[in-house]
Amino acid sequence: MMSKRSLKKAISKTMSLVIGLIIVIAVVAGVLIYLTSQPPLTTTTPTTTTKPTIEKVKIGIIEPLTGRYAVFGQEAVDAARLLVDIINNELGGVSSLGGAKLELYVEDAGTSPDSAALAAERLISNYRPHVILGAYISRLTAAVAEVTEREKIPLVMDALVDWLTEKGWNYVFRLAPRASTHGKAAVDFVLEMAKKTNMTIRTVVVLHEDSIFGTTVANGVRSQLIAKGVIPNETITYAYTITDFGPIISKIRDLNPDVIFSVPYFSDGILFAKALQASGIKVKFIAGAGGCGYTDPDSIREAGEAVEYFTNTYSYNPARQTEWNKRIVQAFQQKYGKLPTEAAGIIFYSLMFVYEGLEKAGQMFPEDPLNPDNLRAAFLSLDLNDSNSIAAQLYPTGRVKLASNGENLHGGTAILQVIGGQPKVVWPEAEEGVTPVFPRP
Amino acid sequence: MLPSLNLLLQSILDGIFLGFLYSIMALGLSLVFGVMGIINFAHGDFIMLGSYLVWILANSLRSDPSLMSVITVPLFFVIGAAIYTIIIRPVLGKEPLIQIAVTVGVGYVLQNLALMTFRAEPRAVQISYLNFYVDLGLVSVHAAKLVSAFLSFLIVLGVHYLLTKTWVGLAIRATAYDREVASLMGINVGKIFLLVFGLGIALTGLAASLWMTFGQADPYIGSSFGLLTWVIIALGGLGGVSGLLASSIIVGIIQSLTMTLVSPTVSLAIPYVVFIVVLWFRPQGLFGKG
Amino acid sequence: MVAGASIPFLVGFNQYYILLALQSVIVASIALAWNIIGGYAGQLDLASFAYIGLGGILATMLMMEYNITPWAGMFLGAGISAALAFVIGYPLFRFGIRGVWYALSTAALVVILHEVSIMVLGPFDYYIPLLEGWYYLRFRTWENLYYFSLIVLAFVISLNLYISRSKVGYYLKAIREDEVAAEAVGIDIRKYKLLALMTYASILGFVGYIYIVSQRTFSYNTFSGPQSVYIAIIGIVGGLGSVSGVFTAAIILKIVEEYLRGYLGGALPGLHLLLFGVLLITVGILRPEGLSSLTDTLVKKVKTRIWGGVRE
Repeated sequence: MMSKRSLKKAISKTMSLVIGLIIVIAVVAGVLIYLTSQPPLTTTTPTTTTKPTIEKVKIGIIEPLTGRYAVFGQEAVDAARLLVDIINNELGGVSSLGGAKLELYVEDAGTSPDSAALAAERLISNYRPHVILGAYISRLTAAVAEVTEREKIPLVMDALVDWLTEKGWNYVFRLAPRASTHGKAAVDFVLEMAKKTNMTIRTVVVLHEDSIFGTTVANGVRSQLIAKGVIPNETITYAYTITDFGPIISKIRDLNPDVIFSVPYFSDGILFAKALQASGIKVKFIAGAGGCGYTDPDSIREAGEAVEYFTNTYSYNPARQTEWNKRIVQAFQQKYGKLPTEAAGIIFYSLMFVYEGLEKAGQMFPEDPLNPDNLRAAFLSLDLNDSNSIAAQLYPTGRVKLASNGENLHGGTAILQVIGGQPKVVWPEAEEGVTPVFPRP
Repeated sequence: MLPSLNLLLQSILDGIFLGFLYSIMALGLSLVFGVMGIINFAHGDFIMLGSYLVWILANSLRSDPSLMSVITVPLFFVIGAAIYTIIIRPVLGKEPLIQIAVTVGVGYVLQNLALMTFRAEPRAVQISYLNFYVDLGLVSVHAAKLVSAFLSFLIVLGVHYLLTKTWVGLAIRATAYDREVASLMGINVGKIFLLVFGLGIALTGLAASLWMTFGQADPYIGSSFGLLTWVIIALGGLGGVSGLLASSIIVGIIQSLTMTLVSPTVSLAIPYVVFIVVLWFRPQGLFGKG
Repeated sequence: MVAGASIPFLVGFNQYYILLALQSVIVASIALAWNIIGGYAGQLDLASFAYIGLGGILATMLMMEYNITPWAGMFLGAGISAALAFVIGYPLFRFGIRGVWYALSTAALVVILHEVSIMVLGPFDYYIPLLEGWYYLRFRTWENLYYFSLIVLAFVISLNLYISRSKVGYYLKAIREDEVAAEAVGIDIRKYKLLALMTYASILGFVGYIYIVSQRTFSYNTFSGPQSVYIAIIGIVGGLGSVSGVFTAAIILKIVEEYLRGYLGGALPGLHLLLFGVLLITVGILRPEGLSSLTDTLVKKVKTRIWGGVRE
């Protein structure tokens, strides 16, 4: 390489870099000046003195529609569509807002916080919904929540991990019972049943898949066990992608537990149930926790007899005998040909809650009902029970009242058991004609 | 927590059975790599494909998955031959990075095709004749695993016989040793490659049907099987069938022991640590042109 | 460069597009870093997210636990990733591991880190608290982070170009063409491969924090094998060693991915990955140079227009 040419090359290359850098710095400086001299970018609903006519309330829903959680996300969206239909047509829209109808906007959260954040940004910049629901998985929801907090859009979460309401966010709300509540419920149920049937529990094994969800629920199980004086003997964790339970089954055989508390994801639950059945080990009871696996129709279909008498905790009670619950379950079954499970159920009461919150906001703040702070105030002011609210009727414990961090003070689960190949509610109140089977025969 | 003798023995036995099944998976890969020098990154994903196929067949024909191998093995041979002709042959002369990349692409396509078609939830067959345990006092034996292991062993022996005692086997070995010389001796190298690749994929079809007697299918099992089989090959070298069997069983036992004694999570990582350590200390010459 | 900086204005500060641009720029930076080990040195490295995760998580945890500014943390992240690269690379290269065995080792590395992180930290899934400001490189809106990433990208591009035209680059390309011959000519292949690997790893370790901050959370899943493979695919489809090709491939693939997500949603999950797979196969068989053949000619034309006369 000739030195003159390479020197010239070097100079012009450095030159272009320097020029480029200067331009970038100038641009950045200019932008910063521009930004600090402008009014805030986010727009809030302008306050007017006359009552605004609102024709529709925009509801956004962000759920994972691709990837391994797609099955849950899809169900949640199905449920949302049904509810919006019912609210608009049967209930006549939001009466305090002049009969305003709900309009649903669906966005796919994808599989990573990246795509969830993009989904939230896109939904907001395209449609600017007044309320958003989502996003089932904790890290996706966290990514969405940051955006909604910035833009001050109320987010009603259907993700269960505890810390989502502990981050000091102002505009998040969650009716669904949190993960640790699920764990506690499973323990309460088992201990209650043990007392009723005079069964002594000596050895307990906690089995859970190792995601943050599985771990939180399992921690709930363990702390409740210890609080009630039962020390779990062993905790076994596994990756949800596990392909062979053989070694775990061997360990279980060795430990010979009376009760196993299990927090599966979905497929691992099926695999475990079948492996356990094949092993012939007699475990007196297997209680699931966390709302996934064992007692949903898909699991029952895939595992067959292996999951008979298994239980699981649910954020939703499809067999709750309130008028509206029966109606919506039936409507769902008619429209989609299957029973609603966890994902759908959470959306049922969450969306219905939003509707009732909107009604309240219209009453409390007739001039500016859709202002985020007003919506928040309205949401927090609601104290719902079976007699004054549809949302409460859809909720397992029948009571909804949110604390200031957005968490439902009356969070609770229902427990379902697979009896005769069908999921039946056995706790806190058993379905008609159903008695929980404990221990397993 | 000190493990009981029962547990230990049980775990080792489980590992042995699993190891035999792994040997079938590794065998196909080893043949292809040894003879053609092609690294089929998608090998595990073919097992995944086979598993789904077996799932569909077994459920619709309401029969045991292992019997499906009657269909899957020949079918996969054809698929293998097709893949070879369309995708592998064109890149035979190109740089190794491209060769690997192409098979990575195939794997990606298979994985996402499965994801699109079957969604992400795993599928298990509903009928499996051998899904029970036989209690032998000290240990319990899972019938399906035992039979899979036994069948795998037979097949491995069969392939070994094929390679050592038949003309075709001789041709294959000659090609593996030095393809130019083999070609000069009148062996149709192209045909041998086709045969070997087809055989390699056919073996994945077999592995899949055996696997489905006690396992599940989901779009991502390909990756775990894929990496595992490479670990086995790294350990056992490309030499002979005995090395392959030995390393498969070792890997199976290691996996099983760590799952039981330490935790299932760790058991995923241990084979790979072993893999890297082995790679470091095995003499380079073992891997030929790499 | 200027075009990149002006994007926020063009889209009227629409957060969605800025975020998309941000993510594209980050991916491009990662892919271009990969280009150093994959495109120039010719090693199929599948461990990009091992280094990203390690460096990024270190920087993030330092910030979360000890309030150490990521400006320091990112460099520490770069350092630790480089150290990891050395620990892995030195024995691998010393024992002459190359080709598929190298690829497999790197794939194994990601899995190992994934599992080890679960073992050490438990199944963790942390959300990064909103501590705003340049001190933390954390903001409510995306523009500032975007500008910073642009600068990083500019650096990575310059580094690529510099290597490409330097003696090191020359040696690396020789190694990629034919290792044995290169060694015979007297090039210390181990040293240069290791150098390439460590450079690549340190860039990734540095960028790791930016990546995690853009995601707002990090977990053991940050050590993602599939994502690492994805980066390698971009590097190959773009064209090994072609800066313009890899850059274009990264941007295009990211946009296509988002487009498919936005418009097809859950209808056909994994479709974009399927397309990438097909693309990779096609490129491998028909056009191993990838996009570089197209983009390089385009770049040449632009350069001719600006500088007058073809350089080099």
